[in-house]
Amino acid sequence: MLTSEDKREFVIGTLLQSLIILHWCMVFFFAPVDIHQGPVYRIMFLHVPSAIAAFGSSLGLCVFSVLALRNSSERLMAWAKGTAEVGLLFTILTLATGSIWGRPTWGTWWTWDARLTTTFLLALLYAGYLLLYGSLAPGPGRTRVCAVLGILIFADVPIIYKSVTWWRTLHQPPSMIREGGSTMDPEILWTLVSGIFVMCIYAAWMVRVRGRNIMIAEEIESASYATLGAR
Amino acid sequence: MKATTWSQYLTLVRQGLRAEFVDKERLISPVLFSLTMLVLFAFALGDLDQSLRIRVYLAETFLTALFALQMSFSRLFEPDRQDRVFELLRTYPISYTSLFLAKYSLVLILGSATLIPTMLFGAFLHQSANQQLFSWVVLGIGLLALAGLGALGVLLSALTLKAQARQIIYPLLYFPMTTPVLLAAVQSARLCLDVGLGSPELKSWLGLLAAFDIIYITLGVLLFTELMDES
Amino acid sequence: MISNLSFKFRHRRLFNDLSLTAGPGDLWHISGPNGVGKSTFLSVVAGLLNPSSGEITLNLASKQILDRRAHLEYLPAEANGLYLKMDSVQNLRFWSQLRGLKLDDSAIFAALEPWGLNHPLLRDGFPIEKYSTGMKRRLALARLDLSPVPGWLLDEPLYGLDQQAITVFRERLRQHLSRGGFALLISHDLEPFRDLITGAKEISSRGSA
Repeated sequence: MLTSEDKREFVIGTLLQSLIILHWCMVFFFAPVDIHQGPVYRIMFLHVPSAIAAFGSSLGLCVFSVLALRNSSERLMAWAKGTAEVGLLFTILTLATGSIWGRPTWGTWWTWDARLTTTFLLALLYAGYLLLYGSLAPGPGRTRVCAVLGILIFADVPIIYKSVTWWRTLHQPPSMIREGGSTMDPEILWTLVSGIFVMCIYAAWMVRVRGRNIMIAEEIESASYATLGAR
Repeated sequence: MKATTWSQYLTLVRQGLRAEFVDKERLISPVLFSLTMLVLFAFALGDLDQSLRIRVYLAETFLTALFALQMSFSRLFEPDRQDRVFELLRTYPISYTSLFLAKYSLVLILGSATLIPTMLFGAFLHQSANQQLFSWVVLGIGLLALAGLGALGVLLSALTLKAQARQIIYPLLYFPMTTPVLLAAVQSARLCLDVGLGSPELKSWLGLLAAFDIIYITLGVLLFTELMDES
Repeated sequence: MISNLSFKFRHRRLFNDLSLTAGPGDLWHISGPNGVGKSTFLSVVAGLLNPSSGEITLNLASKQILDRRAHLEYLPAEANGLYLKMDSVQNLRFWSQLRGLKLDDSAIFAALEPWGLNHPLLRDGFPIEKYSTGMKRRLALARLDLSPVPGWLLDEPLYGLDQQAITVFRERLRQHLSRGGFALLISHDLEPFRDLITGAKEISSRGSA
């Protein structure tokens, strides 16, 4: 039994999927082959957008946290939790693609460059946030605690990033993942930009879907508490 | 009736110290942990080249101190959790700023009691005839690091107060967030021992450390009061 | 003095549009079936939780008070708010200092006296964790008595007390009320308070009152 809401979700979902397919067509047919790295470099089109989505989620986390704190709203916390989950997903994706890219290109599975390190630390923070959220009983206390943590995480990410960057520049020349620098072809640039755009929209949509799921789950949970009292 | 902020602060600090001394295990175990770890490291690493000694000493000492401190931070509010003391505290007319500062002062006092022996013992273990590892400046850097680590520790301790799996969640959230302070502290200390006090880089890293401290203390006070108010 | 209308959501609406006014000498009995939200109501008045809507106001000498925590003393149901590894004097002194009282030893001993806790062996260096349930409760009631506040919020104050302690408490409560104080009381056993109660509020399982 499909409601009109379900149908709408289906349409949006299909649109997004087609955007993604379109993007991947660009990646494979539009962007040229890199002279140095060969076809492997295309993984960048997955890696960089994921990274942006991962860090963008932290902004979303902060925004929802501040709103939830201001309005003492537990519903908004469901959205915050959604952004944390999506954020965790994208940090893992970033780390995985970074690792896969690194192996054939530079020979190592892992490198301690500033972006990857910060992404790793961010993944830990998202995981910690979700664990904390899950281990507290629902209520205004949880709203307060998780909202504060969300703000703290967002505030800390740039500090961590900067400190790791400065630390890295001392140790070795940055073996940073190249975006191509000044020699980036316009085709590559456009594909990259479209990738970022698509990924962020996709992430936002995932947050929306997930946020609503979480709200429904929490309403079910609170209904079960209600039956406790009604006895 | 209510007490002045200053006398509230003093009362809370005194009570906190009393809680530590009354339960000897809380006081002694972090230090014992540190010293044991350092000895184990010394065994594992054996005799080291001159050139490596400084790095190893700093790495070991700061890491061990961090683990020991993390342990005692996560248990910071432990005495207040018994018999719902903490809830009763919230029904008393205390200012949350003075509560934070009281806990923070406790952290500084007790943290130093862990940090200083750790640094001294570490230097003692790795010292050689030609290389002085102990330095007042390095000790000072350690204490500066404590200032930042402590603020974060208090805030996180309050956040995870009611969490079920605190033992896991606390380190998971704490360690990523301490990265900036730790990096700045280790860098400064290394420059101090390697290059000497005149190094301009040392000054910039010290400045960074101080800046991080101020940021974390400010965040700590603001978010803590936000957390406690109407919680 | 307190006029409050409060609803409170926890997982659901616990009470809806609840109001009561307490003046000097008033003892309000809060009743209702188990689990309906009496303790939660008291927590809200104490300032531990925020009501979903409605407000609690406290007026003293016809002036409205902003931070009512300075004028209320809360006694939780199954806990006493005591540091278990410290002794009775250290506990009482800590809590009274937070209220701004600077008491010397004799004042604290005097507070312990009516509750039978003034014996030196029980008092000095004897950690609370070694007390029995009733003794801990008596210490909590001593703390209550020591607080110079007009409002008492009592959640099952008689928990664990023997007959003698109940008599002492009844007397202290009577004195508190005659001094112009007021109290909100949750108690399964109403016998000792029958003649002191001036009002009753029932929280039904529907949530209204």
